[in-house]
Amino acid sequence: MSESTFARCPAAWTLWRAPLIWCGLLLALAFGMAALEPLFRAVEPGSRQVIYPHAEFLTLLGRHLLVVGVAALLAVVIGVGAAVLVTRPAGRDFLPLLAQAASMGQTFPPVAVLALAVPVLGFGTWPIIVALLLYGLLPIVRNTLAGLQGIDPSVLEAARGMGMGGVPQLLQVELPLAAPVILAGIRTSVTINIATAALGATVGASNLGAPIISGIVNGNTAYVLQGAALIGLLALTVDSAFERCQRLLGRHGR
Amino acid sequence: MIELIEVTKRFGSETAVDRLSLRVEKGELCALVGTSGCGKSTTLRMINRLIEHSEGEIHLEGRQVREFDEQTLRRRIGYVIQSTGLFPHWTVARNIGLVPRLLRWPAPRIRERVEELMALLGLPVDSFADKYPHQLSGGQAQRVGVARALAADPDILLMDEPFGALDPITRESLQAELRDLQSRLHKTIVFVTHDMDEALGLADRLVVMKAGRIVQQGSPLELLRDPADDFVASMLGGDDRGLKEAALTRVSERMLPLSPRLIARARVPRDATLHQALAVMFREHADRLTVVDEDDMPVGELSLRRLVGARRDE
Repeated sequence: MSESTFARCPAAWTLWRAPLIWCGLLLALAFGMAALEPLFRAVEPGSRQVIYPHAEFLTLLGRHLLVVGVAALLAVVIGVGAAVLVTRPAGRDFLPLLAQAASMGQTFPPVAVLALAVPVLGFGTWPIIVALLLYGLLPIVRNTLAGLQGIDPSVLEAARGMGMGGVPQLLQVELPLAAPVILAGIRTSVTINIATAALGATVGASNLGAPIISGIVNGNTAYVLQGAALIGLLALTVDSAFERCQRLLGRHGR
Repeated sequence: MIELIEVTKRFGSETAVDRLSLRVEKGELCALVGTSGCGKSTTLRMINRLIEHSEGEIHLEGRQVREFDEQTLRRRIGYVIQSTGLFPHWTVARNIGLVPRLLRWPAPRIRERVEELMALLGLPVDSFADKYPHQLSGGQAQRVGVARALAADPDILLMDEPFGALDPITRESLQAELRDLQSRLHKTIVFVTHDMDEALGLADRLVVMKAGRIVQQGSPLELLRDPADDFVASMLGGDDRGLKEAALTRVSERMLPLSPRLIARARVPRDATLHQALAVMFREHADRLTVVDEDDMPVGELSLRRLVGARRDE
């Protein structure tokens, strides 16, 4: 008993150790990429330039985060909002439609979305945000639906029977109980999109994908490695941070 | 006081409750009994409008339930369900304080009321207030369920098979506690169960339902002595119902004063039931028992003839 209580409330440092370590490595690499020049020189001995020169890595990281963040924020608002609406009595007719639409969203390759979005939105950051948004909606919608529908019906019956209104029931009972599952969906969505956002570099968005695309185009493996390493560390940082949040949220759920 | 007048509920073409009329007096515990699908739960849930009735009238203290705002109505009626429906992410104390919080009671008053209820239901505040539902046993969870239903001190309590999921021993102790609570609180209770023994033991008024209609209603003893038809008789346990009647009658109601005859060796407490007295006779191979009071002092005697209610005791 006391042991499991202890396991549920570990000290903040123990809990956040992994994400903090990944974050530290990420920032160290973004700041100090130049210090690793000898290493990259060994990888790419034929090239004159072995450290991606066109932008600061920190700037690229910031833009990358911004794109993923904006897309995730929109996807959460739209995805959770839509799933909540179709699980209300008034919107129940649209439930199958939403589930199908979200599934279709993910069968669409992001590259295809980019190709379609560019003529409409032009080059730059917006097409990639749209692509990430569409691509990231499915896990969020699916998990929000699963989370809301997975709540013990007797809990909802009790909430109604005690005279809770629809909005308090949603905010105080349904969303908190579905939160761990919803968060898992957001985690999948964001982690996938951190990798997918690199494609934005093909349509002119400047982010951590830029060194990769530039490396492929110019045949410079060092650039590719630099972009890939930063994206990998960013994904690990964010993913492990989400994992901790899930653990905190899931403490009392069953 | 709850009154249902010619209430009908249809789900599509199916009639779940058919022109049902029922009056539950203030302070009365009314048990709805019947096989699954007889409409007893539907009837209960129409009272707090979790299900809207199709026809007829349901009155609550003289007002139609339809005239109430749904949420106002439900906050005035305690509701206990079989699977408790406790919020798993809330502590015991927070769960119990749900309705007072919805009614915007001031925080100190809520805390006081929650502690009062926890004491009433045998849940020590120190060890239970901060527990989460998954840390409770089935019996403890249902105690919390009952406390939550009583939180805003409603006059009416609806209980939908509240003890149905508990093991027999826990169930019996909770039934005894409910009996005890009811003798102090005098709530108007509608209690749905398919456990006839539970209904017989708790109810002031027993309502036997079949296919959405009331087959018979009355006090447990009235039904046991005079079941309206074979269905009611079989619901009451067929030939066993004699024993169930014996279980509802106290020894003190049948005993005679001590006779000058030889005092019987086998003893039975005065407040035991006739069912228990019969068991003692069977076990002791005796047809006469000495009835004793709480201090084990003989106060009367009970013969087998007297126990079974034969006309003359000779």
